[in-house]
Amino acid sequence: MVLVINGPYSDSEHVEPGHPERPERLTAAMAGVEDLHLGADLVVVPSYAASRAELVRVHNGNYLDELGAFCYAGGGDIDQDTYATMDSWAIAKLAAGAGLKVIDELQRRNDGVGFVAARPPGHHALADRAMGFCLLNNAAVAAASLLSQGERVLIIDWDVHHGNGTQQIFWDEPNVLYVSTHQWPLFPGSGSVNEVGGRHATDRTVNIPLPPGATGDVVRRAVDTIAGPVVDAFDPTWVLVSAGFDAHRDDPMADLRLTSGDFALLARTVTDYSPRPGRVVMFLEGGYDLSALRSSVHATLSAALGQSHETEAPSNGGPGIEHVARIHQARRTAIETLQASDEEEGT
Amino acid sequence: MTIENIAVGYDGSPDAEIAVRWALGAASESGATVTIVHATGLLEHLHQHFSPDRLPPALLALVDECGFSPSRLRWLVDNGDACSVLLRAASPPINAGMLVVGSRGQGKRVGLLLGSTSLEVVEHATIPVVVVPSSYVEGETR
Repeated sequence: MVLVINGPYSDSEHVEPGHPERPERLTAAMAGVEDLHLGADLVVVPSYAASRAELVRVHNGNYLDELGAFCYAGGGDIDQDTYATMDSWAIAKLAAGAGLKVIDELQRRNDGVGFVAARPPGHHALADRAMGFCLLNNAAVAAASLLSQGERVLIIDWDVHHGNGTQQIFWDEPNVLYVSTHQWPLFPGSGSVNEVGGRHATDRTVNIPLPPGATGDVVRRAVDTIAGPVVDAFDPTWVLVSAGFDAHRDDPMADLRLTSGDFALLARTVTDYSPRPGRVVMFLEGGYDLSALRSSVHATLSAALGQSHETEAPSNGGPGIEHVARIHQARRTAIETLQASDEEEGT
Repeated sequence: MTIENIAVGYDGSPDAEIAVRWALGAASESGATVTIVHATGLLEHLHQHFSPDRLPPALLALVDECGFSPSRLRWLVDNGDACSVLLRAASPPINAGMLVVGSRGQGKRVGLLLGSTSLEVVEHATIPVVVVPSSYVEGETR
């Protein structure tokens, strides 16, 4: 099976000294790709900058104008976490366009797995605001393109932080199912189990908040029992993965305890959600320990491609198993309450 | 219009202190309570600045100086970017009736919406917002 990759390969101009979201992350992720030793089965598609028409499917036009102007004026700190440089606007458009070209290639081949090795990451970027290191929402731009082609898109987000931007953008979209596992409480403060989607998309948002210290067995149990049935009912035609690797136990940004072996098992699960080959694309989101990032990218892609590999053992024994049933019940209650409220308003 | 609770953003900057000072003065006159809100961003996980359990010393000194009653003061450390956290203060459990922000804070750009928490909050808020200028002089609450 081929691996199709794309990304802004020269992104060294999007950098702020001392900031953890740095160009070396991409070098580490690409080292994880090289560790696969794919030879001719590695397909690198040309870089592509997303057009304004492709971006306004998910972002407010005024925001795009403002971001472009901010960068051309020299950039700076957008908020306490997020920076932009003079070149960030051009680089962010390449990151947002990378998924589109990967999708094109997978559609042509009807085979393979896609990996968008791009930064800055995207899943915190709102329709009208940058935040959490993110300028443009790369996975959302790709999902919106697929939506315009009549597809039904599952977005699985296993970054340790809730993907508030992606959730907001597709909040009321019935043809996108957004599933997030994340540490709670943690930045950005959203991702409660009670957030289940808008009026036209009830049950199209699945949030699985996990306590600090949770291990891979908890994440797998939660995904299988809470998200699995919803995914089956949704019956996606494409699977996009916001693949952050900051839930790794060595990552400094959070407190989950996953290993690269856990990401491999998760990759197998989400690959099984796709209806046929050539319908899974993974997007690099977080992941700030370079060694963990490299091994996790390697393990994830290896599993998605069906390769055998040696990696860290999956983790288990952390807190949270007992929360899974409660999360499941709380979701059902939230959905029933919302539906009852809708019926009341309709009568 | 009676405002029972004023929420004011605090990021440790001099402008944030000026905003807190204004909020305490306004609340002293109106009898409102004050919730001082600090947003814990992504980077703060690496370098924790503020404990959710106690008021930072600089704020404690400021409250003392203003003679504001601690019983009408609440300190809240919440996860998120500054704009989102301030906007959430208008909802339960805080239910602020007014948001107060400094004019600059962490944002470095003047005249652009991007990079200015105060302008972002003004654009998205559903309750009155007071942006306190850097040149605010103590004692002038209106």
